[in-house]
Amino acid sequence: MTDDDRVFKALADPTRRHLLDRLFERDGRSLGELESELEMTRFGVMKHLRVLEEAGLVVSRRSGREKLHYLNPVPIRLIHDRWIDKYTEHRVAALADLKNRLEGTG
Amino acid sequence: MMMTTTMTATQVYQVFIRATPEAIWEAMTKPEFTEQYFHGVRLELRDGRRYSRTQGGVGWDEAVLEEDPPRRLVHEWVSYYDPELAAEEPSRVTWEIDPREDGTCLLTLVHDRLEGAPKTAESVAGEGGMFVLSGLKALLETGQPLT
Repeated sequence: MTDDDRVFKALADPTRRHLLDRLFERDGRSLGELESELEMTRFGVMKHLRVLEEAGLVVSRRSGREKLHYLNPVPIRLIHDRWIDKYTEHRVAALADLKNRLEGTG
Repeated sequence: MMMTTTMTATQVYQVFIRATPEAIWEAMTKPEFTEQYFHGVRLELRDGRRYSRTQGGVGWDEAVLEEDPPRRLVHEWVSYYDPELAAEEPSRVTWEIDPREDGTCLLTLVHDRLEGAPKTAESVAGEGGMFVLSGLKALLETGQPLT
């Protein structure tokens, strides 16, 4: 599996995208903290975090006795550089803006 | 979709680069390389300081806290390019180069001690570290800066 494959595979799961959103809101969280916000067993959260770590989307660092998880946006940037820049980013951005405006989320 | 994020005192960025630790170290510390991916800024390590100069000719320097080429560089960070950010307390940047058996290196950038610099934290978050590391990777692997 290539790096891109791992990132796309990791992002293909809604729970993993949810974990990334939680880390985006507040970075540097322990497993316990992340687990408390999900309807899922500790083992389930660990499994998803491992897939995210293997894809490089989450980086864990020790801080004292705790292991903290950080969102690493670099792989997403690389996908952006490789897959979005290439395909007429301006048009894509215009459509994304339009969608956001129409759906009231922009 | 727009989302707000609560800035934390530590930010971590990581990327695999297909290059030697020495090449990555050079790209981090030599002005002719840094100006190609670091917002045009020419960076240089000299006498325990890290000197920066923008294309507009603005210059400043920060303390180097640890220098262990080609593996580890730790330096202070003050966003001198913006007066409002420059007024905040200094934070800290750590670069770690970890060579792997497959000929790549894992480059980790940790920006921490941001407690006293919330505006700097916001300014360098995401786009900052992400842009610098993807630019560095592109430069080392293809010889071309990102446009």
